[in-house]
Amino acid sequence: MCVHVIFSLLNTFLSILYLPEICTTLFHHVHFPSRFLNLFSRKPKEPKPPSQNAPGWRLFGKVPLRENTTKDPKDSFTIQQEYQVKVGPAPGPQVQLSAARRKNLEFEPLSTTALILEDRPPNLPAKSVEEAMRHKQEYDEMVAGARRRELKEAQKKRRQMKERFKQEDSIANAMVIWNNDVLPNWDCMRNTRRVRELWWQGLPPSVRGRVWSLAIGNELNITPELFEIFLSRAKERWKSFSETSSENEIEGRYHDRESSLDLIKLDISRTFPSLFIFQKGGPYHDLLRSVLGAYTCYRPDVGYVQGMSFIAAVLILNLEEAEAFIAFANLLNKPCQMAFFRVDHDLMLKYFAAFEVFFEENLPRLFNHFQINNLTPDLYLIDWIFTLYSKSLPLDVACRVWDVFCRDGEECLFRTGLGILRLYQEVLLQMDFIHMAQFLTRLPDDMAADNLFSCITATQMLSSNRKWGQVFSALMKDGSKEIANHSPAPRS
Amino acid sequence: MGSDEAYNFVFKVVLIGESGVGKSNLLSRFTKNEFNHDSRTTIGVEFSTRTIQLKSLIIKAQIWDTAGLERYRAITSAYYRGAVGALLVYDITKHLTYESVERWLKELYDHADPHIVVMLVGNKTDLGSERSVPTEDAKDFAEKNGLLFLETSALESTNVETAFQNVLGEIHRKVSSKEVTRGSISAVSLSSPVPRAAGDPEEKKPCCRNL
Repeated sequence: MCVHVIFSLLNTFLSILYLPEICTTLFHHVHFPSRFLNLFSRKPKEPKPPSQNAPGWRLFGKVPLRENTTKDPKDSFTIQQEYQVKVGPAPGPQVQLSAARRKNLEFEPLSTTALILEDRPPNLPAKSVEEAMRHKQEYDEMVAGARRRELKEAQKKRRQMKERFKQEDSIANAMVIWNNDVLPNWDCMRNTRRVRELWWQGLPPSVRGRVWSLAIGNELNITPELFEIFLSRAKERWKSFSETSSENEIEGRYHDRESSLDLIKLDISRTFPSLFIFQKGGPYHDLLRSVLGAYTCYRPDVGYVQGMSFIAAVLILNLEEAEAFIAFANLLNKPCQMAFFRVDHDLMLKYFAAFEVFFEENLPRLFNHFQINNLTPDLYLIDWIFTLYSKSLPLDVACRVWDVFCRDGEECLFRTGLGILRLYQEVLLQMDFIHMAQFLTRLPDDMAADNLFSCITATQMLSSNRKWGQVFSALMKDGSKEIANHSPAPRS
Repeated sequence: MGSDEAYNFVFKVVLIGESGVGKSNLLSRFTKNEFNHDSRTTIGVEFSTRTIQLKSLIIKAQIWDTAGLERYRAITSAYYRGAVGALLVYDITKHLTYESVERWLKELYDHADPHIVVMLVGNKTDLGSERSVPTEDAKDFAEKNGLLFLETSALESTNVETAFQNVLGEIHRKVSSKEVTRGSISAVSLSSPVPRAAGDPEEKKPCCRNL
């Protein structure tokens, strides 16, 4: 009796343990060789001749070929087909299909990984009808469950593939439109509704650089020749710099040192370190150094400021060297970027204040939560704005933000910030000061572009009917009053 | 998140010093036991926390890792406010980063609590062969200025734990010498009198919103 119970349990356990897929595949035509049987039964017995009804262990393994039941391991059956083969009468052409396929199989799979007990070994009492029925039912349920899972899995895969094809299609289509329609007629088309909508979807990588260049423009009238001049000047400085070595620099020239090439060298290896292309020996190392070095010679009054290396790197990933430099210099010349890279504190506070106006308007609950916790926007916005999100967001997402930034200008940067806050609003609402600060300065790296962009779309840049530019210039006129209110300094 | 953690004190500690001396790696070594040869440039400020036990007290260190760039100081100096401890880090292989220590110190005392606990930290002892700042020099300077001093290697994990522990311990010593009752949940401040004494010494609640 005791043995009986144990085997009953073992039976259930085994059928649960082993995947039904495997069980069904070879259920009927594999039999347990005696030497394996020995492992399980104390008294070895002669193996019974193979028969469907013979009670005993059945193992998947090396067994003689049986007609019509061999199976090509290359031929992947779905659970459904296997199930139908096993269970028998199921309507539809699929049964015939699978049966027909079976006939063509030439090889017996060599799997010895699975073991199943249909009936007990002959030396043990047979299952009762009730028990056998129960096992059969359990087994059927498992097979059906596995079948459902597999179907679901297959559906999901199909959906994903479809989605990917769709995406690839739309990128290909968009590329044609950009190349044939938009780029040749840039000036008259760039602000049309159709182009703006297409732009919002994200630029195809192959035209991204060109569109960015055109959108950023070249107000500074920098030519590739001019770039070469500044580059060679940078190279000279580099040479004399390495000769004199940084040790000899005098205190008074501190500002010089900062803008110097030493800091650029330090930062290049710390720019997108995970990509391994800007580090020393990497393919874009020299390019990045050239663009940054040339810029410090072109604008010694601004010099090199941390954060720039990320911007230059993103441009280099999408543009040729000279074009990247031209875009870089013009981009940094925009009012918002100038304010930040010159670290014009008062002006930065104006930007933060304007941001807070729209923050309160869009996400009042979170705004309030931030206020209570003394979490001021400078703590997270500085990193986001200085690097145009290229350090804080996954690179592909950041590039899409750049697309919109090129279309909409600085407003987009703050709108994106609000999009991020909206995306994580519920999580943030549960956090205290330090956890929010930590979260926002190190955003999750699995952020999906679509989720972020729907949150950006949901963010209205209107405050009592005033647009970003109007709010900002009102704050500029307001002067010191606003600064006092929005200074990040007082925290106690 | 985090609000259910129990602790007796929260100490705000800032990491300051020139760019590239290894502040972020000291922090990641202390809070996550990690080291990155190519960690990303810190822009603005980044945050980390670690809770440690000091005798019978649970202390949560809230560490502000600031950007080292000179130009950023206008912004970062605002972050010193409310800090009760600071690690002023230089690179033992780069004399310039040591030369600027005095300037950092001035900056710190200008903006932070005058009783702030400061440790001078000479990092990168793993690069001993390239050393350009003698230990004695730095030690003398620290003594003269009333700073704690240690040399560390974030890479080899030498003295990192000790450095933070010593700073936190010293802060605690200062705080308790001011007779802050055990279990006080008031914001920790070294200069101002304790706003309120703890009613229930067993009480352990998150605090320090106002650091």
